[in-house]
Amino acid sequence: MRVHSRGERWFDVVNYTLLATLAFVCCYPFIMMTVLSINAGTDSMRGGITLWPRVFTLVNYRVILENAAIQRAYVVTVMRTAIGTAGGVFVTALVAYGLAERRLPGRKYIMIYMVVPMFFSGGLIPYFLQLRDLRLINTFWVYVIPLLFNIWNAIVMKTFFQEIPVSLKESARLDGANELMVLFRIVFPVSKPLFAAISLFVAVGHWNDWFAGAFFVTRQHLRPVQTYLMGIMTADLSDSFNQQTVQAAQQLMGRFITDYSTITSLSLRMAAVMIAVIPILLVYPFLQKYFVKGVLIGSLKG
Amino acid sequence: MKSVGTTVNGATGRTGRRALSAKAARVLSLYGWHYAFILIGVVFLFLFAYMPMLGLQIAFRDYKIHLGMWQSPWAGLKYFYFLGDGYFWQSFKNTILITTFRFLFGFPAPIVLAILLNEVGHNRFKRAIQSFSYLPHFISWIVVAYILYTMLALDTGVINLAMRTLGFPQVNFMGRPEYFRAIVVASAIWKEIGWGTIIFLAAIATIDPQLHEAAFLDGAGRFARIRYINVPGMMPTVSILFILSLPGIMNAGYEQIYPLVNPANLEVSNVLDVYLIRLGLTQAQYSVATAIGFMLAWVNLLLVLIANWTIRRVGHVGLW
Repeated sequence: MRVHSRGERWFDVVNYTLLATLAFVCCYPFIMMTVLSINAGTDSMRGGITLWPRVFTLVNYRVILENAAIQRAYVVTVMRTAIGTAGGVFVTALVAYGLAERRLPGRKYIMIYMVVPMFFSGGLIPYFLQLRDLRLINTFWVYVIPLLFNIWNAIVMKTFFQEIPVSLKESARLDGANELMVLFRIVFPVSKPLFAAISLFVAVGHWNDWFAGAFFVTRQHLRPVQTYLMGIMTADLSDSFNQQTVQAAQQLMGRFITDYSTITSLSLRMAAVMIAVIPILLVYPFLQKYFVKGVLIGSLKG
Repeated sequence: MKSVGTTVNGATGRTGRRALSAKAARVLSLYGWHYAFILIGVVFLFLFAYMPMLGLQIAFRDYKIHLGMWQSPWAGLKYFYFLGDGYFWQSFKNTILITTFRFLFGFPAPIVLAILLNEVGHNRFKRAIQSFSYLPHFISWIVVAYILYTMLALDTGVINLAMRTLGFPQVNFMGRPEYFRAIVVASAIWKEIGWGTIIFLAAIATIDPQLHEAAFLDGAGRFARIRYINVPGMMPTVSILFILSLPGIMNAGYEQIYPLVNPANLEVSNVLDVYLIRLGLTQAQYSVATAIGFMLAWVNLLLVLIANWTIRRVGHVGLW
């Protein structure tokens, strides 16, 4: 039996307290945003809304969800995340499978070609000009196509594929399977944990990207949620929103009208941010087991 | 199957044309799909990585949109005038300051946290703490900016409320340049401290448990075991990550900083990325912005090479 000295027991107390505090600090901003988004805006102005709503209301969400610009932004984000993740993981996996073949003639030179861009880049402006030359600027596809192949993920996948026992592939080949069948029936199915982890990272990257929407696209209707949020960060929302929404509200149900008058920029902003955060919070518990694995696969000689 | 590789290598000798093409056919029949898949990657890198590298030449040209990067007239070193521009050096200094502070506080933070987490015997508590601390990693820097603007707001922000309750005067954190760096560093740590522990916890997990048993039998207390077993056990990982973070010194991270830039803090928030984005994308001064990018690309490469060389010197496998 391990006997802890008095100092060690104190260490435990301090350590547990510290860690619990850290966990609280990590999730407090989420609590704060949630509470501010479901509390009447005018009431929040008085201050003191920290852990629990004082005047509960869903009107902020109502206004945000009814806003046509946000709806469009949401569709853009969902589309680019879905298409970008499925396409990106698939394309990158194909290339990684090619690179994983150790006996491939010329592999050494191919790898050099692949690795150089990891260490040297043309930078933002030439990249932007190239996107323009490819006619991608101001299209939805600027969110998807340039990111279909990711060399960092390809290296991680390549490492993973190389650890799949050769005997598995060989026995399939002996059974008469061609290369494509080996790939889709053997290699991809046994790589599910890898795909789960990489998909998660790619999806989060798409979901959270605001930069492309801000600088590679000028059309309002192509803006993803994050770029939209960037745009309304410091603006005074109460005017622009209220004019549309109060009118809309009057056409809707009368009993909501009093609610609408409680809206402030802050309450709307919090509801808008929560719209971008909630999907992540919802899928987060289910994906936890994958991402730790993902980080560790990636750190093995990347 | 092994023999295939050797015959292909043997083909580099003087062989007849026909034999060579026969070998090519065999290689293609064996690896045709592999080459096809690789070709996809080659094309993507050509379009989105190598073409922009070639595009760096517009740093030396008077870039005209209708002429493109190959036809625009040469301009020599004209666009490197930025080296005499005060704003450039301001952004350079701001970048170095932010990255240095972020490194000083942000690098040790997950290491310490990993050591503390590892001392937790209660498994469910440990996992709960991990779950909470990984969470901020998954939200965007835009959301982080919202959190900062809200928490640090005058009158309604939680921080100012707490300060008022404790009898301190309110502080306009987001409106005052002297707080900017602290805000950037603190929010970066908040976002990544938990996530950063994953790799260090894995490093601790690879330490031979027999070491702990032996030390325990020798009467080593917990602190002694942390100090003499866990910390040295993490050192290879720590030193590699330490060296790998060197190239980050030029990279303040536009994703985090750009959303926090406002006129009130511009004197400290104007980092290289922000300067470059404003010059290149907002004002469309492509040649100057590319000249800055050209210099940054080489400095970055140099830093990566130094980092890799150092890792090898320390006795680890380098990156290549």
